[in-house]
Amino acid sequence: MIESLNKAFCALPGVGSKTAQRFVYHLLERNRDGGFELAKALVDAMEHVQHCHSCRTLSEKTLCNICANTVRDDTQLCVVETPADIHAIEQSGAYKGKYFVLSGYLSPIDGIGASELGLDELEQKLQDKKVDEIILATNATVEGEVTAHYISNMAKQFDVQITRIAHGIPIGGELEYADINTIAHALSGRKNYD
Amino acid sequence: MAKVDLTPAFLIHRRTFKDTSLLLDFLTLEHGRIRLVGRGLRNSKTQIQVFQHLKISYSGKGDLKSLTNWEADDTPRQLKGDNLILGMYVNELISRLLHDQDPHFELFEIYKSFVENLATINPLSSHWLLRLFEHNLLQELGYGVDFSQDITGEPIDLSAGYDYQHQGGFVRSVAGKILGKSINQLLINDINNMPDMQQLKVCRDLNRMRLKPLLGDKPLQSRSLFFSK
Ligand SMILES: [Zn+2]
Repeated sequence: MIESLNKAFCALPGVGSKTAQRFVYHLLERNRDGGFELAKALVDAMEHVQHCHSCRTLSEKTLCNICANTVRDDTQLCVVETPADIHAIEQSGAYKGKYFVLSGYLSPIDGIGASELGLDELEQKLQDKKVDEIILATNATVEGEVTAHYISNMAKQFDVQITRIAHGIPIGGELEYADINTIAHALSGRKNYD
Repeated sequence: MAKVDLTPAFLIHRRTFKDTSLLLDFLTLEHGRIRLVGRGLRNSKTQIQVFQHLKISYSGKGDLKSLTNWEADDTPRQLKGDNLILGMYVNELISRLLHDQDPHFELFEIYKSFVENLATINPLSSHWLLRLFEHNLLQELGYGVDFSQDITGEPIDLSAGYDYQHQGGFVRSVAGKILGKSINQLLINDINNMPDMQQLKVCRDLNRMRLKPLLGDKPLQSRSLFFSK
């Protein structure tokens, strides 16, 4: 039993056998209540958390809180790589539309293509004609850029505005300390001064 | 092998590896294609990028060596749109057709000039650039056939039609779709001397035929990225 618990902890990122052993002894010797709580929470989450049927983010219900929220703007759809990206954008409070989660980016060499990212579902959403603007918020990496380009090609067949979030110099950041990739991106994504 | 210091390289592919690290495939000048672990690189502020001329240092014993240092040798290339996808396609070719740590000095230069050209070329010529890259790659890897003469040893007639016979070469044929002129243009290898649209398609099919036996049953995934609707 101890052995198999140790192995189970190794499923966590960054946890090797040594760290796992510390966890095991801590829970068994000092915190059994915490251990039971962890076990129950894990079972609950593993059994009940699924992917939102509309945006594919992690959710306890068929529709996540954002998708179920009728106050939010249905006409804007922000496409992100991961659920963590939704969290980051929500923290900013600057966006009131809906999301679509790809759970990755196009990576042909690894066999990750359009269907693995749920792009047929996304296409269906655009076909339904509720969306006026699709905001491509994939990362500012080459892979993120390829993914954004592919989706924009797909979206062009529909009557929808296609935008890409700007990547650039962080607020409070000084040009001198930004790396060359950031500066190149900031320059290519510049907009009219108003 | 102990240590390699600041050797010219291009990143071909990266994938996440064990939470915070990256598994990186490089095309290097001196050691061909090599796979390295970039420890802790996943969350680094400056991301190592494909299509950028790099200098990399690495060391380690065994099969999987570690990247110890890297620097960008030039500004990042802002490949856009379809050219970005052409670049991904070429990277997939490299990762499928090259063997690890088999040096190809010429190929490194061919790849370098391909990437440099891709950043500035107009969309019309970019497909010709791709055909020339495929051609050069095949010749460099030793899968080339003679482009100056046909299978019987006769020089290629610019105005005649030809068929392609795998690993043999070109066969003159009245119904042959491949114009002698196009065969010659591939041989001359000049980005400014481009076939017309129809012959460009013929060259695409020719290269596809030449690549097919090397790729086996597994099709190139990046071909599906060319949005066809
Ligand atoms: Zn949702």
